[in-house]
Parts: sequence; C-alpha cells; structure tokens
Amino acid sequence: MKIILVCSAGMSTSLLVNKMRAEAEKRNLEATIEAVPESQLKNNLDGLDVVLIGPQVRYLEKKIRELAEPKGIKADVIDTKAYGLMQGDKVLDQAIELSQ
Amino acid sequence: MQKFIEIAGRIGSQRHLVAIRDGFVAIMPLIIVGSLAVLFNNFPPLGSFNFVDIMNNLFGDGNWQQVGGSIWNGTFAVLGLLIAFSIAYNLAKSYEIDGLSAGLISVAGYIMLVPVTADWGLNFAWLGSQGLFVGIFVAIVLTELFRVLVNTKRLTIRMPEGVPEGVAKSFAALFPAVIILMIVGLFQALMTVFVEMSVFELIFNAIQKPLQGLGNTLPAAIIIAFLNHLLWFFGLHGTNILGGVIEPIYLPLIEKNADLWAGGLSAFEVPYVVTKPFFDVFVYMGGSGTTIALLIAVFIVVRMERNHPYREVAKLSSPAGLFNINEPVIFGLPIVLNPVFLVPFILVPVVLTVISYVALSTGIVPKTVAILPWTTPPILSGYLVTGGSWRGIALQLFNLSLAVLMYIPFVMAGVRALSQQIRDKAS
Repeated sequence: MKIILVCSAGMSTSLLVNKMRAEAEKRNLEATIEAVPESQLKNNLDGLDVVLIGPQVRYLEKKIRELAEPKGIKADVIDTKAYGLMQGDKVLDQAIELSQ
Repeated sequence: MQKFIEIAGRIGSQRHLVAIRDGFVAIMPLIIVGSLAVLFNNFPPLGSFNFVDIMNNLFGDGNWQQVGGSIWNGTFAVLGLLIAFSIAYNLAKSYEIDGLSAGLISVAGYIMLVPVTADWGLNFAWLGSQGLFVGIFVAIVLTELFRVLVNTKRLTIRMPEGVPEGVAKSFAALFPAVIILMIVGLFQALMTVFVEMSVFELIFNAIQKPLQGLGNTLPAAIIIAFLNHLLWFFGLHGTNILGGVIEPIYLPLIEKNADLWAGGLSAFEVPYVVTKPFFDVFVYMGGSGTTIALLIAVFIVVRMERNHPYREVAKLSSPAGLFNINEPVIFGLPIVLNPVFLVPFILVPVVLTVISYVALSTGIVPKTVAILPWTTPPILSGYLVTGGSWRGIALQLFNLSLAVLMYIPFVMAGVRALSQQIRDKAS
C-alpha cells in the first residue's frame, strides 16, 4: 500500500510520516509512506493508493481530488486533531479506511 | 466562515500566483547561499576574534572575499533572471506543457530587454532585484503566449517516426519561440524609438518602486501580519497563500540592504525596515503566531499536572518549534477555530510587528541585512540577520518575553475552559 501526505513544503508532515511508518512496522503492514510538497504530487501518482492532505493546505482539496480520483486514488484531509497531536496510528487508520 | 475558506482557497490555488510563489520557492536555496556568502565576507567580529582581519592576513586583503563576491553575483545579483526562468517553468508545468522550453524562451526574452552597456555587457543593475517585476511579467506573458502557440496544431512541426523525443520536442517549440521572440524584439525596438527608455526603468519606476515604498511602511506590515494570522486561525497556511504577493515586494528590499551592507554601510544605515527576514526573525519566532512564546507560557501555567493535554502538546511541539515549524501546536492545542486563542494569536504578532518596526526605524536595533533559512532558530537568527549585533538578540528576547506575558492569561483561560468541558462530560 502506498500513501502520500501533502503539505506546503513537506516539512511538518514528514514528522507525522515517521510516526506512521513506525506504526505500520508495528502492525507488520507493508506500506510505503511519504510526504511531498503539493507541487510534487503530480509526479508521484504511480501506484498510489491514498493521498492525505495536511489540514493547513485544505484549500487544495478540490484540486487534489480532481487529480487523484480519476485514477482511482482516494483522497481526504487529515483529521485535524490527529494531525496536531502527531498520532501516527490514527492517521494510518484513516488511510486504511479510505483505501477500502 | 466557509465563504472565507473558499476565497482564501481560490487565492491560494490561483494558477499564476502559485507559479510565482513556487518560482520563488525554487530559487530560495540560491538566494540564501548568496546572502550567507555576503555574511561570511563581512563576518562580524566576536570580541577580540576578528574573522575578516585573520583572513585578510592569511590570504592578502580582499582576495579570499572574491569567493563570496562571485557567489553573490551568480545568485542574488541575478534574481530577476533566475525568477524569469523559474516562474515560466512552473507556469508551463501547471498547464502540462514543456516547462524547459517555456523557461528558456522566458530567459531569452528577458535578456533581450536588458539594457546593454557601452562595452557590450549586460547591465547587472537590471538582472537583479530591480528587474524582478519585469521578470515576473515576462515569464507570465511569454508562457501564456507559448501555451497558445504550442497548442495551435498548424504551428508545430511533425517529425517522422524514429526521431528521438528530445529532438521532436525542441522542434515543437521552434515556431512558437520564433514568433514570441519576434514580438519581444519588436516591442524592444518600439520602446527604444518612442519611449527612449528601457521597459525595466519604466516598470521599476511605475510599479515596483511605489509598491516597495508602500511595503516598507508600518501599516502594510501590520496588515500582512494580521492577514497571515487570520488565515492560520482558520487552519489555512497563511504564509503560503500570501506568498505570491509578498515575496516580489519584500525580497528586493532585503537584497538592497544586504548589497549596501556588503558595500560598507552599517546595518543601522541601510534603508529598509520591513523585509522578509524582518517578519521571520522578529515576529514569527517559533512559527506564525510567535508560538514558541505560547509553548513557554504553557510550561509556565501548567507546571503541576504532568499529563495535562496542553503540556503534552507543548512537549510534542517543542523540538520542531525551535526550528519555527509549528503545525503541531496550531492543530494540536488547537489554536485553529479556538475562540480562546483567537485574540492573542493575532494580537501578539501585530504588537511585535509594531515594536520591531519602532526599534528598527529609530535605530535602537540594526536593520536586517541577511536572509536566512526560515528554519534558523531564534537568538541565532537575531544575531545573524542584523549582521552580528547583540541588539538583534536583545530585541528577540524582549519580544519573546512580552509575547509570553501576553499569552499567559489566555493559556490560563484555556486551561479553565478545558477542565470545565471535562467536568461537563463527566456529569
């Protein structure tokens, strides 16, 4: 399963990515998780299952959905509270739920 | 509220503004290297340790400074040229057309317009920040033309099969490039004959200079600080949304300061108070909202309860907060849409903007002469940005203490509201 997190420069979400990776490992889940800036998303759509959008760039939601959904990629804004508290497990759950 | 987010969203994703913003983001590493090179060349003496003197003794006066000087020439000094490429590239990419060709055409068009010196050299004065607005116009106008022409089927040369893609691509751009550069050439000829002034001077005097003059005033600085934080309060990336408008105005101002400072002027004498690093270093300490002060306020107010949710968030956010990354606090505490924090989150930065403006403009604290990566921690950033003055650190400490004091009552109110909520839930 491949998950990408989008934010403005990929900096704050990369903190969250580390936590999600640790959580995925704990669950023995085969997952590639990455953080990219919004402008890079277009080049990373291959084999992607889920795009999660950082709440601070939620104004891009429509644009990202238009990009992702025709390719069968699920997209959603990350739960604000889980994002702020950097809860890797909850955000991972959100991604898994989306992909089903 | 929904309406507000929609409008902000539309600005934040407007194609041309995004291309401008991403264009600036792309050249930022070069700009920072150029700025650090100047800082290195004029490194402030620390007590009896005088770096510049030592280097002069070792390598002969000024010889070693050529390294930094030439880095400046290749980066900050050609800001306009760099931006002409990077904006055209990003804009073309957003249309999913050939970004490299668009960027190259834009650079060619830009150079065509630059006044040539008597001994057939390019005039550096117009390659840099003074040519920034022309760079933006050229990039946008030429790329729009390029898009129309490239999508016109009759103008593209079709290559027989078996021709490598790179070759086919460069030919696809051939006719559009011919037409675009002809137009630019014609325009340049008309300008020389009828206006007897380069387009650079015209745009600089008519648009760029007035805008920058306005940008350097206190009211403009307050409006920017206010808007940025209002957007963040709604959970939107304020700096990002405003970037396309703010960078073109504030980047040239710091360039001018840094350039004059490298030329021997002291950091007190350089002209511009409000610059990009002005906000980054003196106001947005710990990120938008001066949240490093909020973290300190939380640690002061919530001393006893080790597991208090506020304390947990503050602990979690502190490491990133030192480097001015603060999304965890903003969304975790949360500040977003939290009426308790609306007032201080907007008021603190506005007040600090006013104080810093006064401190810099009255000459109590030297002005900003270097642009640093925005992730440079406070204290260090205050020292470096003022060209190595302890007064820069002092202003940061003053601002921080004031911000902590302003945040404390609101943190207390937040704690009370939180325990009320928990009690309500329990009963």
